[in-house]
Amino acid sequence: MSRRMVLGLLFLSFIIPFGVLIYLSVSTQWYYPALVSHPFTFSNWLSFFDGRSGLLKSTGLSIFISLMVSMIATSCGFFISRGIVYYTSSRWWLVSAYFPYVIAPVVLAVMLNYYFLQIGLSGTVFGVMSAQILITLPYAVILFYGFWNRNIRNFENLVATLGGSFFDKVMHAFLPSAKGLLVVCFFQCFLISWFEYGLTQFIGIGKVETLTIMVYRFVAESNPYLAALAGTVLIIPPIILLFVNRKFMFRKGLGI
Amino acid sequence: MIEISGLNKSYKQEPVLKNLGFSHPGQKTLSILGESGSGKSTLLKIIAGLEEADGGDVRIDGRSIMQMKPKDRGTVYLYQEPLLFPHLTVAENISFGLKFKGSDSKTVEKDTLRMIGQLKLTGQEAKYPHQLSGGQKQRVAFGRAVIIHPKILLLDEPFASLDPATRQEMQVLFKEIADKENITSLFVTHDLKEALMTGDRFGIMVNGRLTLHENREAFIEDSDTGVKKEIEFWKNLS
Repeated sequence: MSRRMVLGLLFLSFIIPFGVLIYLSVSTQWYYPALVSHPFTFSNWLSFFDGRSGLLKSTGLSIFISLMVSMIATSCGFFISRGIVYYTSSRWWLVSAYFPYVIAPVVLAVMLNYYFLQIGLSGTVFGVMSAQILITLPYAVILFYGFWNRNIRNFENLVATLGGSFFDKVMHAFLPSAKGLLVVCFFQCFLISWFEYGLTQFIGIGKVETLTIMVYRFVAESNPYLAALAGTVLIIPPIILLFVNRKFMFRKGLGI
Repeated sequence: MIEISGLNKSYKQEPVLKNLGFSHPGQKTLSILGESGSGKSTLLKIIAGLEEADGGDVRIDGRSIMQMKPKDRGTVYLYQEPLLFPHLTVAENISFGLKFKGSDSKTVEKDTLRMIGQLKLTGQEAKYPHQLSGGQKQRVAFGRAVIIHPKILLLDEPFASLDPATRQEMQVLFKEIADKENITSLFVTHDLKEALMTGDRFGIMVNGRLTLHENREAFIEDSDTGVKKEIEFWKNLS
Protein backbone atom coordinates (compact mmCIF):
# COMPACT_ATOMS: atom_id res chain seq x y z
CA MET A 1 0.00 0.00 0.00
CA SER A 2 1.46 3.33 -1.02
CA ARG A 3 2.23 6.06 1.50
CA ARG A 4 -0.30 8.35 -0.14
CA MET A 5 -3.01 5.69 0.22
CA VAL A 6 -2.23 5.16 3.91
CA LEU A 7 -2.35 8.89 4.49
CA GLY A 8 -5.64 9.10 2.60
CA LEU A 9 -7.15 6.33 4.75
CA LEU A 10 -5.91 7.98 7.91
CA PHE A 11 -7.40 11.27 6.77
CA LEU A 12 -10.72 9.60 5.96
CA SER A 13 -10.85 7.80 9.31
CA PHE A 14 -10.26 11.16 10.95
CA ILE A 15 -12.79 13.08 8.91
CA ILE A 16 -15.64 10.48 8.78
CA PRO A 17 -16.74 10.93 12.44
CA PHE A 18 -17.03 14.67 11.81
CA GLY A 19 -19.03 13.96 8.67
CA VAL A 20 -21.40 11.68 10.63
CA LEU A 21 -21.76 14.37 13.29
CA ILE A 22 -22.66 17.03 10.74
CA TYR A 23 -24.96 14.62 8.92
CA LEU A 24 -26.86 13.76 12.11
CA SER A 25 -27.21 17.46 12.90
CA VAL A 26 -29.24 17.89 9.71
CA SER A 27 -31.46 14.90 10.40
CA THR A 28 -34.56 14.52 12.57
CA GLN A 29 -35.58 10.88 12.27
CA TRP A 30 -34.50 7.48 11.03
CA TYR A 31 -36.71 4.51 10.15
CA TYR A 32 -35.66 0.93 9.66
CA PRO A 33 -34.58 -0.38 7.12
CA ALA A 34 -33.33 2.90 5.60
CA LEU A 35 -29.56 3.21 5.69
CA VAL A 36 -29.61 6.88 6.40
CA SER A 37 -31.94 9.30 8.15
CA HIS A 38 -34.60 11.01 6.19
CA PRO A 39 -35.50 13.75 5.41
CA PHE A 40 -32.56 16.12 5.20
CA THR A 41 -33.52 19.29 7.17
CA PHE A 42 -32.10 22.41 8.73
CA SER A 43 -34.73 22.48 11.48
CA ASN A 44 -32.16 21.58 14.19
CA TRP A 45 -29.91 24.40 13.09
CA LEU A 46 -32.90 26.76 12.95
CA SER A 47 -33.74 25.77 16.53
CA PHE A 48 -30.14 26.59 17.43
CA PHE A 49 -30.30 30.09 15.94
CA ASP A 50 -33.81 30.97 17.12
CA GLY A 51 -32.89 29.89 20.66
CA ARG A 52 -35.58 27.18 21.05
CA SER A 53 -33.06 24.43 21.83
CA GLY A 54 -31.24 26.58 24.39
CA LEU A 55 -27.99 25.83 22.60
CA LEU A 56 -27.33 29.42 21.52
CA LYS A 57 -27.45 30.57 25.13
CA SER A 58 -25.20 27.67 26.20
CA THR A 59 -22.73 28.50 23.43
CA GLY A 60 -22.56 32.13 24.52
CA LEU A 61 -22.15 31.06 28.15
CA SER A 62 -19.41 28.55 27.26
CA ILE A 63 -17.53 31.12 25.20
CA PHE A 64 -17.78 33.64 28.04
CA ILE A 65 -16.61 31.16 30.70
CA SER A 66 -13.76 29.75 28.59
CA LEU A 67 -12.49 33.16 27.50
CA MET A 68 -12.54 34.50 31.07
CA VAL A 69 -10.95 31.36 32.52
CA SER A 70 -8.20 31.23 29.91
CA MET A 71 -7.45 34.95 30.19
CA ILE A 72 -7.29 34.88 34.00
CA ALA A 73 -5.33 31.61 34.17
CA THR A 74 -2.83 32.71 31.50
CA SER A 75 -2.15 36.17 32.92
CA CYS A 76 -2.08 35.09 36.58
CA GLY A 77 -0.11 31.91 35.82
CA PHE A 78 2.49 33.99 34.00
CA PHE A 79 3.21 36.25 36.96
CA ILE A 80 2.75 33.57 39.65
CA SER A 81 5.34 31.38 37.92
CA ARG A 82 7.70 34.38 37.92
CA GLY A 83 7.16 34.79 41.65
CA ILE A 84 7.84 31.11 42.27
CA VAL A 85 11.06 31.11 40.21
CA TYR A 86 12.38 34.43 41.54
CA TYR A 87 11.29 34.51 45.15
CA THR A 88 11.06 30.92 46.37
CA SER A 89 13.84 28.43 46.74
CA SER A 90 11.55 25.46 47.35
CA ARG A 91 10.32 23.34 44.45
CA TRP A 92 7.21 22.41 46.43
CA TRP A 93 5.27 25.29 44.87
CA LEU A 94 5.83 23.77 41.47
CA VAL A 95 5.14 20.25 42.69
CA SER A 96 1.86 21.42 44.26
CA ALA A 97 0.78 22.78 40.86
CA TYR A 98 0.49 19.17 39.67
CA PHE A 99 -1.98 18.39 42.45
CA PRO A 100 -5.24 18.94 40.44
CA TYR A 101 -3.98 16.61 37.71
CA VAL A 102 -2.76 13.90 40.07
CA ILE A 103 -6.16 13.57 41.73
CA ALA A 104 -8.32 14.40 38.61
CA PRO A 105 -10.42 17.58 38.31
CA VAL A 106 -13.73 15.93 39.24
CA VAL A 107 -12.26 14.55 42.47
CA LEU A 108 -10.95 18.04 43.19
CA ALA A 109 -14.51 19.31 42.68
CA VAL A 110 -15.84 16.79 45.21
CA MET A 111 -13.18 17.92 47.68
CA LEU A 112 -13.94 21.59 47.16
CA ASN A 113 -17.71 21.27 46.99
CA TYR A 114 -18.18 21.90 50.72
CA TYR A 115 -16.42 25.26 50.48
CA PHE A 116 -18.28 26.23 47.31
CA LEU A 117 -21.57 25.45 49.04
CA GLN A 118 -20.57 27.41 52.14
CA ILE A 119 -19.71 30.57 50.21
CA GLY A 120 -22.68 30.25 47.88
CA LEU A 121 -20.73 29.61 44.69
CA SER A 122 -22.36 26.27 43.83
CA GLY A 123 -24.70 26.52 40.88
CA THR A 124 -23.34 29.89 39.75
CA VAL A 125 -21.37 30.89 36.67
CA PHE A 126 -18.78 32.55 38.92
CA GLY A 127 -18.45 29.31 40.88
CA VAL A 128 -17.88 27.26 37.75
CA MET A 129 -15.31 29.79 36.52
CA SER A 130 -13.52 29.72 39.88
CA ALA A 131 -13.44 25.92 39.86
CA GLN A 132 -12.10 25.83 36.30
CA ILE A 133 -9.44 28.40 37.21
CA LEU A 134 -8.31 26.04 39.98
CA ILE A 135 -7.31 23.52 37.31
CA THR A 136 -6.16 25.82 34.51
CA LEU A 137 -4.05 28.12 36.69
CA PRO A 138 -1.69 25.34 37.86
CA TYR A 139 -1.38 24.25 34.24
CA ALA A 140 -0.32 27.79 33.28
CA VAL A 141 2.16 27.94 36.17
CA ILE A 142 3.74 24.66 35.07
CA LEU A 143 3.90 25.83 31.44
CA PHE A 144 5.55 29.18 32.26
CA TYR A 145 7.92 27.85 34.92
CA GLY A 146 10.74 27.22 32.44
CA PHE A 147 10.31 30.59 30.76
CA TRP A 148 11.95 32.57 33.56
CA ASN A 149 15.56 31.87 32.69
CA ARG A 150 18.71 33.95 33.19
CA ASN A 151 18.31 35.70 29.85
CA ILE A 152 14.83 37.03 30.73
CA ARG A 153 16.09 38.14 34.12
CA ASN A 154 18.96 40.00 32.47
CA PHE A 155 16.49 41.71 30.13
CA GLU A 156 14.43 42.75 33.16
CA ASN A 157 17.48 44.14 34.92
CA LEU A 158 18.51 45.99 31.80
CA VAL A 159 15.12 47.70 31.47
CA ALA A 160 15.30 48.62 35.16
CA THR A 161 18.76 50.16 34.97
CA LEU A 162 17.81 52.08 31.83
CA GLY A 163 15.06 53.70 33.89
CA GLY A 164 12.03 51.60 32.90
CA SER A 165 9.13 50.72 35.19
CA PHE A 166 7.55 47.30 35.75
CA PHE A 167 5.14 48.09 32.90
CA ASP A 168 8.14 48.68 30.59
CA LYS A 169 9.57 45.35 31.70
CA VAL A 170 6.31 43.67 30.74
CA MET A 171 6.13 45.42 27.37
CA HIS A 172 9.77 45.09 26.32
CA ALA A 173 11.32 42.25 28.30
CA PHE A 174 8.47 39.77 28.85
CA LEU A 175 5.91 40.03 26.07
CA PRO A 176 8.22 39.96 23.01
CA SER A 177 9.85 36.77 24.33
CA ALA A 178 6.72 35.17 25.77
CA LYS A 179 4.05 35.93 23.19
CA GLY A 180 4.19 32.48 21.55
CA LEU A 181 4.01 30.74 24.90
CA LEU A 182 1.20 33.03 26.07
CA VAL A 183 -0.87 32.18 23.00
CA VAL A 184 -0.27 28.46 23.48
CA CYS A 185 -1.20 28.70 27.16
CA PHE A 186 -4.34 30.70 26.38
CA PHE A 187 -5.37 28.13 23.78
CA GLN A 188 -4.72 25.16 26.06
CA CYS A 189 -6.57 26.74 28.97
CA PHE A 190 -9.46 27.54 26.64
CA LEU A 191 -9.62 23.89 25.58
CA ILE A 192 -9.44 22.62 29.17
CA SER A 193 -12.28 24.94 30.14
CA TRP A 194 -14.29 24.42 26.96
CA PHE A 195 -14.43 20.62 27.20
CA GLU A 196 -14.61 20.44 31.01
CA TYR A 197 -17.57 18.32 32.07
CA GLY A 198 -17.24 16.62 35.47
CA LEU A 199 -16.12 19.63 37.46
CA THR A 200 -18.60 21.96 35.70
CA GLN A 201 -21.47 19.55 36.30
CA PHE A 202 -20.54 19.08 39.96
CA ILE A 203 -19.99 22.72 40.90
CA GLY A 204 -22.68 24.01 38.50
CA ILE A 205 -25.18 21.44 39.91
CA GLY A 206 -26.94 21.40 36.55
CA LYS A 207 -27.81 25.08 36.72
CA VAL A 208 -24.85 26.27 34.70
CA GLU A 209 -25.61 24.82 31.27
CA THR A 210 -22.43 25.01 29.23
CA LEU A 211 -22.32 23.51 25.76
CA THR A 212 -20.47 20.39 26.99
CA ILE A 213 -23.17 19.84 29.62
CA MET A 214 -25.82 20.17 26.88
CA VAL A 215 -24.12 17.54 24.69
CA TYR A 216 -24.21 15.04 27.56
CA ARG A 217 -27.81 16.02 28.36
CA PHE A 218 -28.98 15.35 24.80
CA VAL A 219 -27.11 12.05 24.78
CA ALA A 220 -28.78 11.11 28.07
CA GLU A 221 -32.15 12.04 26.56
CA SER A 222 -31.40 9.75 23.58
CA ASN A 223 -31.69 12.67 21.20
CA PRO A 224 -28.80 11.98 18.82
CA TYR A 225 -29.82 14.76 16.43
CA LEU A 226 -29.59 17.60 18.93
CA ALA A 227 -26.56 15.92 20.54
CA ALA A 228 -24.92 15.94 17.10
CA LEU A 229 -25.87 19.57 16.60
CA ALA A 230 -24.42 20.50 20.01
CA GLY A 231 -21.32 18.39 19.25
CA THR A 232 -20.85 20.16 15.92
CA VAL A 233 -21.13 23.56 17.57
CA LEU A 234 -18.79 22.36 20.33
CA ILE A 235 -15.90 21.67 17.95
CA ILE A 236 -16.19 24.90 15.94
CA PRO A 237 -14.46 27.36 18.36
CA PRO A 238 -11.44 25.09 19.04
CA ILE A 239 -11.01 24.56 15.29
CA ILE A 240 -11.13 28.32 14.70
CA LEU A 241 -8.62 28.89 17.52
CA LEU A 242 -6.37 26.14 16.21
CA PHE A 243 -6.46 27.68 12.73
CA VAL A 244 -5.69 31.16 14.07
CA ASN A 245 -2.90 29.95 16.35
CA ARG A 246 -1.36 27.24 14.16
CA LYS A 247 1.87 29.17 13.69
CA PHE A 248 2.37 29.29 17.46
CA MET A 249 1.08 25.79 18.21
CA PHE A 250 3.42 24.04 15.83
CA ARG A 251 6.44 26.29 16.16
CA LYS A 252 9.58 24.86 17.74
CA GLY A 253 11.60 26.55 20.47
CA LEU A 254 8.93 28.18 22.57
CA GLY A 255 11.21 28.23 25.56
CA ILE A 256 9.16 25.63 27.39
CA MET B 1 32.61 60.00 41.59
CA ILE B 2 31.87 56.64 43.17
CA GLU B 3 32.90 55.72 46.70
CA ILE B 4 32.58 52.24 48.11
CA SER B 5 33.21 51.37 51.73
CA GLY B 6 33.07 48.15 53.77
CA LEU B 7 31.17 46.19 51.13
CA ASN B 8 30.49 42.57 52.06
CA LYS B 9 28.63 39.85 50.26
CA SER B 10 28.36 36.10 50.83
CA TYR B 11 26.54 33.36 48.96
CA LYS B 12 25.53 30.47 51.22
CA GLN B 13 28.09 31.58 53.81
CA GLU B 14 30.82 31.68 51.15
CA PRO B 15 32.27 35.23 51.19
CA VAL B 16 32.46 36.79 47.72
CA LEU B 17 33.28 40.39 48.66
CA LYS B 18 35.35 41.02 51.76
CA ASN B 19 35.17 44.49 53.28
CA LEU B 20 35.69 46.07 49.88
CA GLY B 21 36.42 49.76 49.71
CA PHE B 22 37.70 52.17 47.06
CA SER B 23 36.82 55.39 45.33
CA HIS B 24 36.92 56.25 41.65
CA PRO B 25 36.85 59.78 40.24
CA GLY B 26 34.50 60.87 37.47
CA GLN B 27 35.16 60.67 33.73
CA LYS B 28 37.65 57.84 34.02
CA THR B 29 37.50 54.11 33.39
CA LEU B 30 38.53 51.73 36.13
CA SER B 31 39.47 48.36 34.63
CA ILE B 32 39.08 45.53 37.09
CA LEU B 33 40.89 42.34 36.21
CA GLY B 34 39.89 39.13 37.91
CA GLU B 35 39.33 35.45 37.37
CA SER B 36 35.87 33.89 37.25
CA GLY B 37 34.35 33.78 40.73
CA SER B 38 36.60 36.53 42.09
CA GLY B 39 33.54 38.70 42.86
CA LYS B 40 33.87 41.32 40.12
CA SER B 41 30.38 40.75 38.60
CA THR B 42 28.85 40.72 42.09
CA LEU B 43 30.45 44.11 42.78
CA LEU B 44 28.87 45.59 39.62
CA LYS B 45 25.48 44.04 40.38
CA ILE B 46 25.48 45.52 43.89
CA ILE B 47 26.32 48.97 42.50
CA ALA B 48 23.51 48.63 39.93
CA GLY B 49 21.05 47.48 42.61
CA LEU B 50 20.56 44.06 41.04
CA GLU B 51 21.99 42.28 44.09
CA GLU B 52 21.79 43.20 47.75
CA ALA B 53 24.97 43.60 49.76
CA ASP B 54 25.24 42.09 53.24
CA GLY B 55 26.85 45.29 54.48
CA GLY B 56 28.68 48.42 53.44
CA ASP B 57 27.86 51.52 51.44
CA VAL B 58 28.02 52.76 47.86
CA ARG B 59 27.93 56.52 47.26
CA ILE B 60 27.66 58.21 43.90
CA ASP B 61 28.51 61.93 43.89
CA GLY B 62 28.42 61.89 47.69
CA ARG B 63 24.96 60.34 47.98
CA SER B 64 24.31 56.82 49.24
CA ILE B 65 22.44 54.72 46.67
CA MET B 66 21.98 51.57 48.72
CA GLN B 67 18.28 52.17 49.37
CA MET B 68 17.51 53.34 45.83
CA LYS B 69 15.77 51.28 43.16
CA PRO B 70 17.95 50.32 40.15
CA LYS B 71 16.16 52.82 37.89
CA ASP B 72 16.95 55.73 40.22
CA ARG B 73 20.65 55.02 40.72
CA GLY B 74 21.92 56.51 37.47
CA THR B 75 23.87 53.36 36.62
CA VAL B 76 23.61 51.20 33.53
CA TYR B 77 24.77 47.59 33.48
CA LEU B 78 26.15 46.28 30.22
CA TYR B 79 26.06 42.50 29.91
CA GLN B 80 28.24 40.10 27.98
CA GLU B 81 25.24 39.39 25.74
CA PRO B 82 23.98 42.46 23.85
CA LEU B 83 20.36 41.85 24.98
CA LEU B 84 18.82 43.92 22.22
CA PHE B 85 15.04 44.15 22.16
CA PRO B 86 14.11 41.92 19.20
CA HIS B 87 10.95 43.87 18.34
CA LEU B 88 12.76 47.23 18.10
CA THR B 89 14.99 48.59 15.33
CA VAL B 90 18.59 49.71 15.86
CA ALA B 91 17.47 53.34 16.30
CA GLU B 92 14.65 52.37 18.69
CA ASN B 93 17.01 50.17 20.71
CA ILE B 94 19.57 52.95 21.04
CA SER B 95 16.98 55.56 22.05
CA PHE B 96 15.20 53.15 24.44
CA GLY B 97 16.41 54.72 27.68
CA LEU B 98 15.93 58.32 26.50
CA LYS B 99 12.14 58.17 26.68
CA PHE B 100 12.35 57.49 30.42
CA LYS B 101 14.40 60.66 30.83
CA GLY B 102 11.57 62.80 29.53
CA SER B 103 13.46 63.97 26.44
CA ASP B 104 11.31 65.46 23.67
CA SER B 105 11.09 63.65 20.35
CA LYS B 106 13.40 66.10 18.52
CA THR B 107 16.16 65.67 21.12
CA VAL B 108 15.69 61.90 21.04
CA GLU B 109 16.04 61.86 17.26
CA LYS B 110 19.05 64.19 17.23
CA ASP B 111 20.89 62.32 20.01
CA THR B 112 20.11 58.93 18.46
CA LEU B 113 21.44 59.95 15.04
CA ARG B 114 24.56 61.40 16.63
CA MET B 115 25.14 58.18 18.58
CA ILE B 116 24.53 56.02 15.49
CA GLY B 117 27.22 58.06 13.73
CA GLN B 118 29.66 57.64 16.62
CA LEU B 119 29.02 53.91 16.66
CA LYS B 120 29.68 53.76 12.90
CA LEU B 121 26.24 52.30 12.32
CA THR B 122 24.96 54.87 9.82
CA GLY B 123 22.61 53.18 7.36
CA GLN B 124 21.73 50.40 9.81
CA GLU B 125 19.20 52.36 11.89
CA ALA B 126 16.10 50.67 10.46
CA LYS B 127 17.45 47.14 10.81
CA TYR B 128 16.28 44.69 13.47
CA PRO B 129 18.71 42.88 15.80
CA HIS B 130 18.52 39.57 13.93
CA GLN B 131 19.89 41.37 10.84
CA LEU B 132 23.08 42.52 12.62
CA SER B 133 26.45 40.87 13.22
CA GLY B 134 27.69 40.14 16.75
CA GLY B 135 29.93 43.23 16.77
CA GLN B 136 27.14 45.49 15.49
CA LYS B 137 24.77 44.18 18.17
CA GLN B 138 27.29 44.95 20.88
CA ARG B 139 27.78 48.45 19.46
CA VAL B 140 24.03 49.06 19.63
CA ALA B 141 23.98 47.80 23.22
CA PHE B 142 26.87 50.10 24.08
CA GLY B 143 25.19 53.08 22.41
CA ARG B 144 21.93 52.38 24.24
CA ALA B 145 23.80 52.52 27.55
CA VAL B 146 25.92 55.60 26.77
CA ILE B 147 23.20 57.76 25.21
CA ILE B 148 21.42 58.31 28.54
CA HIS B 149 24.64 59.62 30.13
CA PRO B 150 24.65 57.36 33.19
CA LYS B 151 26.54 58.54 36.25
CA ILE B 152 28.38 55.23 36.22
CA LEU B 153 28.54 52.77 33.34
CA LEU B 154 29.08 49.21 34.54
CA LEU B 155 30.55 46.88 31.94
CA ASP B 156 30.58 43.18 32.77
CA GLU B 157 32.91 41.61 30.19
CA PRO B 158 30.83 43.13 27.41
CA PHE B 159 33.06 41.98 24.55
CA ALA B 160 33.82 38.47 25.82
CA SER B 161 31.59 36.75 23.27
CA LEU B 162 33.13 38.50 20.25
CA ASP B 163 35.85 37.19 17.96
CA PRO B 164 39.35 38.62 18.65
CA ALA B 165 39.36 41.13 15.78
CA THR B 166 35.88 42.49 16.56
CA ARG B 167 36.74 42.53 20.23
CA GLN B 168 39.78 44.71 19.64
CA GLU B 169 37.75 46.98 17.39
CA MET B 170 35.14 47.35 20.15
CA GLN B 171 37.78 48.13 22.77
CA VAL B 172 39.10 50.96 20.60
CA LEU B 173 35.55 52.23 19.97
CA PHE B 174 34.74 52.05 23.69
CA LYS B 175 37.81 54.09 24.58
CA GLU B 176 37.05 56.64 21.86
CA ILE B 177 33.41 57.15 22.93
CA ALA B 178 34.15 56.98 26.67
CA ASP B 179 36.68 59.81 26.28
CA LYS B 180 34.42 61.86 24.01
CA GLU B 181 31.35 61.50 26.23
CA ASN B 182 33.27 61.86 29.53
CA ILE B 183 31.92 58.58 30.85
CA THR B 184 32.69 57.28 34.32
CA SER B 185 32.88 53.51 34.10
CA LEU B 186 33.88 50.31 35.82
CA PHE B 187 35.00 47.73 33.26
CA VAL B 188 35.43 44.20 34.57
CA THR B 189 37.24 41.60 32.51
CA HIS B 190 39.33 38.48 32.89
CA ASP B 191 41.35 39.45 29.81
CA LEU B 192 44.61 41.16 30.65
CA LYS B 193 45.01 42.92 27.31
CA GLU B 194 41.44 44.20 27.48
CA ALA B 195 42.04 45.57 30.97
CA LEU B 196 45.19 47.39 29.80
CA MET B 197 43.46 48.67 26.68
CA THR B 198 40.29 50.08 28.25
CA GLY B 199 41.38 51.44 31.62
CA ASP B 200 42.62 54.80 32.90
CA ARG B 201 43.00 53.28 36.37
CA PHE B 202 43.41 49.62 37.14
CA GLY B 203 42.41 47.12 39.77
CA ILE B 204 42.93 43.46 40.36
CA MET B 205 40.39 41.42 42.23
CA VAL B 206 41.46 38.29 44.03
CA ASN B 207 39.12 36.37 46.37
CA GLY B 208 36.80 39.32 46.97
CA ARG B 209 39.57 41.84 47.62
CA LEU B 210 40.49 44.65 45.25
CA THR B 211 43.97 46.13 44.81
CA LEU B 212 44.02 49.45 42.97
CA HIS B 213 46.73 50.94 40.77
CA GLU B 214 46.65 54.53 39.64
CA ASN B 215 48.42 53.94 36.33
CA ARG B 216 49.36 51.29 33.82
CA GLU B 217 52.97 51.06 34.98
CA ALA B 218 52.06 50.26 38.59
CA PHE B 219 49.50 47.71 37.36
CA ILE B 220 52.11 45.98 35.22
CA GLU B 221 54.50 45.85 38.18
CA ASP B 222 51.95 43.98 40.32
CA SER B 223 52.83 40.28 40.12
CA ASP B 224 49.14 39.31 40.62
CA THR B 225 48.20 40.79 37.22
CA GLY B 226 50.37 38.29 35.39
CA VAL B 227 51.71 40.89 32.95
CA LYS B 228 55.32 40.10 33.76
CA LYS B 229 54.66 36.37 33.41
CA GLU B 230 53.11 37.02 30.01
CA ILE B 231 56.10 39.11 28.85
CA GLU B 232 58.43 36.40 30.11
CA PHE B 233 56.44 33.77 28.21
CA TRP B 234 56.71 35.63 24.89
CA LYS B 235 60.41 36.34 25.46
CA ASN B 236 61.10 32.66 26.08
CA LEU B 237 59.07 31.68 23.06
CA SER B 238 61.17 33.84 20.73
